[in-house]
Amino acid sequence: MGEFKVHRVRFFDYMPTAIRAMAFNSRTERLALARADGALEIFNFADNYFQEKVIPGQDGRAVEALCWVGQRLFSAGLNGEITEYDLENLRPRYTVEAYGGPIWTISINSQGTLLAVGCEDGTVKMFEILEERIQFQRNLDRQKGRIISLSWHPSGTLIAAGMMDMIRIFDAETGRATHRLLVERGVGASKSREVVVWSIVFLSDHTIVSGDSAGKVQIWDGVTGTLVRTHLVTKWDVLALSVSKDESSLVAGTSEGTVVQFQFISSTVDQQDKEWVRTRTFKNHSHDVRALAHTETAVVSGGMDTQLVVRPLLDKVEKNTQESALRKMSLPHRSLVCCAKKAGLLLFQFPDHLELWRLGESDGHGKPGDSLPVKRKPEKLIQLKRKGEDHICCSALSPCGGWLAYSTVTSFRLYRLQNNNISVTKVSKLPKDLRSAHQLCFSPDSSKLFASSSHSSVIVVGLNQPECKYLHTLKPKSGSRQPVHLLFASEDGKWLATANADCEIHVYNLDKLKLHCTVPVYSSCPTAIAINPTTSNLVAVHADQQIFEFSLVQKEYTEWSRKLQKQGLHSLWLERDTPITRVAFNPKNPAHIILHDMFMFCIIDQSLPLPEAKTPFYNQMTLRSLPEPQRLVHSHAFKICKNFQHLMCVSLLEDHSLVVVERPLLNITSQLPAPVRQKKFAT
Amino acid sequence: MAKKQRGKSASSTKTADIKQQTDHFSLMLESSDDEGPEEVTFEDSKAEALRSMKQALDTARREKEQLKEKRRKRQELFQEQKKRKLLPADVLEEIDSAPSKMQKQCQEEADEEQQEAEEDQQRKKKRKRSGKLAHARNLKGNYTVQTAKERDSASFQQQAAEDFLQSRMYGPGSCRTTSNELLSLQNKTGRNKSAAVQFVKKDWACNEKAKAEKLKKRWVHKQQIPSC
Repeated sequence: MGEFKVHRVRFFDYMPTAIRAMAFNSRTERLALARADGALEIFNFADNYFQEKVIPGQDGRAVEALCWVGQRLFSAGLNGEITEYDLENLRPRYTVEAYGGPIWTISINSQGTLLAVGCEDGTVKMFEILEERIQFQRNLDRQKGRIISLSWHPSGTLIAAGMMDMIRIFDAETGRATHRLLVERGVGASKSREVVVWSIVFLSDHTIVSGDSAGKVQIWDGVTGTLVRTHLVTKWDVLALSVSKDESSLVAGTSEGTVVQFQFISSTVDQQDKEWVRTRTFKNHSHDVRALAHTETAVVSGGMDTQLVVRPLLDKVEKNTQESALRKMSLPHRSLVCCAKKAGLLLFQFPDHLELWRLGESDGHGKPGDSLPVKRKPEKLIQLKRKGEDHICCSALSPCGGWLAYSTVTSFRLYRLQNNNISVTKVSKLPKDLRSAHQLCFSPDSSKLFASSSHSSVIVVGLNQPECKYLHTLKPKSGSRQPVHLLFASEDGKWLATANADCEIHVYNLDKLKLHCTVPVYSSCPTAIAINPTTSNLVAVHADQQIFEFSLVQKEYTEWSRKLQKQGLHSLWLERDTPITRVAFNPKNPAHIILHDMFMFCIIDQSLPLPEAKTPFYNQMTLRSLPEPQRLVHSHAFKICKNFQHLMCVSLLEDHSLVVVERPLLNITSQLPAPVRQKKFAT
Repeated sequence: MAKKQRGKSASSTKTADIKQQTDHFSLMLESSDDEGPEEVTFEDSKAEALRSMKQALDTARREKEQLKEKRRKRQELFQEQKKRKLLPADVLEEIDSAPSKMQKQCQEEADEEQQEAEEDQQRKKKRKRSGKLAHARNLKGNYTVQTAKERDSASFQQQAAEDFLQSRMYGPGSCRTTSNELLSLQNKTGRNKSAAVQFVKKDWACNEKAKAEKLKKRWVHKQQIPSC
């Protein structure tokens, strides 16, 4: 099979940021997630929870709340601005200053016409939704405290606002505050502190449910303004609430990391007296849960421990199926590491800087499983800080290690590396068309740079020392408006493959600089693409874990791909819950395909038979115990190695050694902010 | 009568004075109650007052000097004790070199060495870190915690709102602990019980480990010196 010297890299200090807010769009089945650094992520729940789009953050854009208005996405933050996002070009479309101080919450009425924001100065501001923008309509009655949370009544006539120590109900038409519901403070030491109503939900039967910092979930009657029931859920704060569309189930997220479910059911057999009863408790987080979304079949939660957890509810989905499994998204679904194969360099992308490292060396020899002595340690060569407020969107390193490029939503920078990769010089004259890119890729001979720009087009720029020249813009025929998120240039410099969020894969001929062919569109979004240098076959892996191989010369699927589709992939392969983010090839053996996801890396040997449904899938250990001649009988094409966790990149260098970049989740957990102290018996 | 008194008071000491005076008074009281009080001349009483003040000042000065003397003696005693307590110079050198080696090792493992070209950026990074630590809070022992959120904010209002959020979530009365403790508890209550995380992971808690090394060396040396 193969013996590889492995560079085990654990000095990539990647730290994800906490999840601050989320909003689920049930019509398109997309979840929008806002992180503490202002970055936005869109997950496609219908496509195996794939992270489709990422909009990078910005310094000072402290997003506090998100809201979908049809297909449009709005956010509001502590900088006092409401921002609408352009999801096709992955950037903010415009911002509107609300002039009310920091904005704590944003909410749309069920008709989709009025957007309400709750501000620090105690006003609830109404904005009208127009075609291309929003327009300020009026303020409701100004209150004495800050407005922390808002909820529209489904009829659109009333708004409930959660403030400090109280809840106010406003009449949306007149703007007057009609009711004031006083929330009790906590007991003991917290009696001197004001209680903050962190979140509030207004149901159609005029019931108001509120979650506050004293750890209570309270049910109020919105008509009379009286308290119906109090549930003390936790000793700390209840930070988030979310109700299902049919208003039969409600979830509350706490500072402890638990998510408590309440259901509107009757305690006796007759349907008459239904009430909100606490049913389930989910403990899927170690830190505070700050954002919740209740979809039809699942509860989605996220918080300070930076992981997105989707917990399907077992009364809505079938038990013990792939659908009912708990899903955790910890690492991003795209690669943040760029490996220069010829130079042995690694480029790490952080939101605010880039790091260039040289890999270490070892010339020891040993048996499989040994740790070799390191002759020269890996060293950090360059740390490049970004300029401006916008965070880095994408970055690339040329295979020879001579060029470095990165892009934000507003700027693009190209650098030349010299003196054995220690000195950095900025290339100042850049072509006008190259303003910002969603994805960057260098050609293998470092003569061209490919940058994906608006509406699935790719800009080709020629690199000649010391400057770069605009060559061509490649456009697909389909006229798709979605951005390109994957780029791959073949080793011989003849082909360029692109994949966009519309699930289209286009291949361009670089000699003629025009479109060569389009791979038949598959329903799932591609997560990794690559072109085999020897056979010129395009391998594409999709979010639902399907693998396809397409011959570029003959413009059709290869024999092996058809055989794989006919037999079907093994169920254990299809049940994996993290996507493949990189595909690589072994120049010594063209039949090998190297893939990896977060928990394993796999070498697919196309010359071996495909595994049947009943054969044991992870058979590497058993094969090793068998004697040589018997191994060939039992082996199948998928060779999986789980020795390295949690993987961010697996790549093959020119000298036939593997580079494995690991980021153990324990190291991420150790640097998170303080969790609550829970006194447990016998500790 | 009065003349006799004056003569007596002029020659004797203060205590004798008081005694005699009281004696006299008692005698007086015993003998005749209805006689008027004695006359004391102005000069006499002035002299008396001055003398008593001088004596008071003298005693105060004497006391101060005595106290100074005591303090000086004490200080000298401490110095001597400290000299005695300190180990010989060569052992100290050995101890100092060992923990710095350990710390260097930890630092190397934690962040790799930098080239000269980006020393500036490295310095900036270190400065940035110390700036961040300024917003940190001590929770338990020497462990400091800071939020991962960026604190750069454009306006005063935004900063105030962020401070409000920070104080409600992590301020006093929020009952927080450290990640170390959370992970250590998980280790101790999990299926395969193991030690607290700072002992399990090699590059955690470098400072504490260096201190422990130092203390161990000192203790060992102390055991070897015969007690005096």
